[in-house]
Amino acid sequence: MVTTQEKKTEEKWGMVIDVDKCIGCQACVVACQSENNIPVNEEEHFNQRRPIQWIRVERYWEGEFPDVKARFIPIMCQHCDNAPCEPVCPVFATYHNSQGLNVQVYNRCIGTRFCANNCPYHVRFFNFWEPSWPESLKNQLNPDVTVRSRGIMEKCTFCIQRIRRTERESGRDGNELKDGDRALNTACVNACPTDTLVFGDFNNPESRVSKLRKKEMDDHHGRGYKMLDELGTSPNVIYLKKVDKEAKESSTH
Amino acid sequence: MLPGDFQEPRITQRKVLLLGVIGLGGVSGLVVALALGLFVLSAWLGLPLDVFGFNEGPDQPIEFPHTVHVQELGLDCTFCHRTVTKDAAASIPAVGLCMTCHKTVGDGNPEVDKLRGYYESDRPIDWVRVHRVPDHVHFVHEAHIRFFSDKMGGDSETCSICHGDVGGMEKVNQVRSLKMSDCVDCHRNNDAPTDCTTCHY
Repeated sequence: MVTTQEKKTEEKWGMVIDVDKCIGCQACVVACQSENNIPVNEEEHFNQRRPIQWIRVERYWEGEFPDVKARFIPIMCQHCDNAPCEPVCPVFATYHNSQGLNVQVYNRCIGTRFCANNCPYHVRFFNFWEPSWPESLKNQLNPDVTVRSRGIMEKCTFCIQRIRRTERESGRDGNELKDGDRALNTACVNACPTDTLVFGDFNNPESRVSKLRKKEMDDHHGRGYKMLDELGTSPNVIYLKKVDKEAKESSTH
Repeated sequence: MLPGDFQEPRITQRKVLLLGVIGLGGVSGLVVALALGLFVLSAWLGLPLDVFGFNEGPDQPIEFPHTVHVQELGLDCTFCHRTVTKDAAASIPAVGLCMTCHKTVGDGNPEVDKLRGYYESDRPIDWVRVHRVPDHVHFVHEAHIRFFSDKMGGDSETCSICHGDVGGMEKVNQVRSLKMSDCVDCHRNNDAPTDCTTCHY
């Protein structure tokens, strides 16, 4: 009998983000906040540099006033294969599972915040307060996701609750896990109006992410890069750089 | 008598008696404290000991007898707990489902009268939850039922692996500790995944 565990080693979840397509609409941010029971960030939280945003859209301005360009880049946990956050956890609350996911186990976490200090992407968030929602949002909490209490670390999980549910339902109905299936996508991917974010299995050569990686990373002229690649974290999120019409052919990358 | 000389205290019979009483009290107090500690520990590690009705289930708003419905009428678990083979939660039936029979069955039974009261005033019954896992645990009935049904065959036997013989209980109580060690043991024995994210996410 093929156990679920044996089957699981076949997958390696990852994402490809085409920065050229991103219009900075923040739909992914909203989708993520509501899917993953992230508390509402108020002004005070931002002033203290303590908001919780598993995915954020960073905005950069280029050029002087009349000729200004806005550039957007969505950033979430990169699920690094060689994650700097993992070895510093004294209680093994963050580790790599067999599906290539960097996992945070809430009930193990004791809130030392070492992992957040060691993360070069600033995508780990500490619950400095007991999470709270306005009364009108209490009934929209996702029952499939744990509400994290004060004093523990949290971060993007690649919507593992959706992965688990799709796995279970495919086992029940006998369907195969389909790449690009709406149910097998993260909330941010489903919300993205411009198809900037693509989620999938890197170990499946037929998946969209594998094809994109092959096209953009292996080819010398591809647009693919990994964020802060020089740190050697080997992220599972690939960014495709913005198409620059004025750039010369001979530029690096 | 010079200063610093030590004079042995005089031991009277009264003092001996007093010391004896204090000593006995101390020993028995220690024994009681130890017993209490053991009891609390056993409750913490799993289920409270089966004394003074400590492992009994909670009082429900309606004394629903599973014995009558399961043993005498032979209803299957899934007749009432309908989503158990399809979804994560087993689901408690709506009052309307009870009323499909109890509109006509059970006249004169005070518990059935209570049920009809709920139905007529359009209120749900506030059943007291017996089996509960913490919020950071995601237990899915469907997957477990599917696995054990394939393995053993028969739905009601599958349920009793964790819930015990509910059909024979007047008052439903928890029979397994449902602590993480309990879950992990079973997962190991059945070659199920033991990755943290199987349940914790």
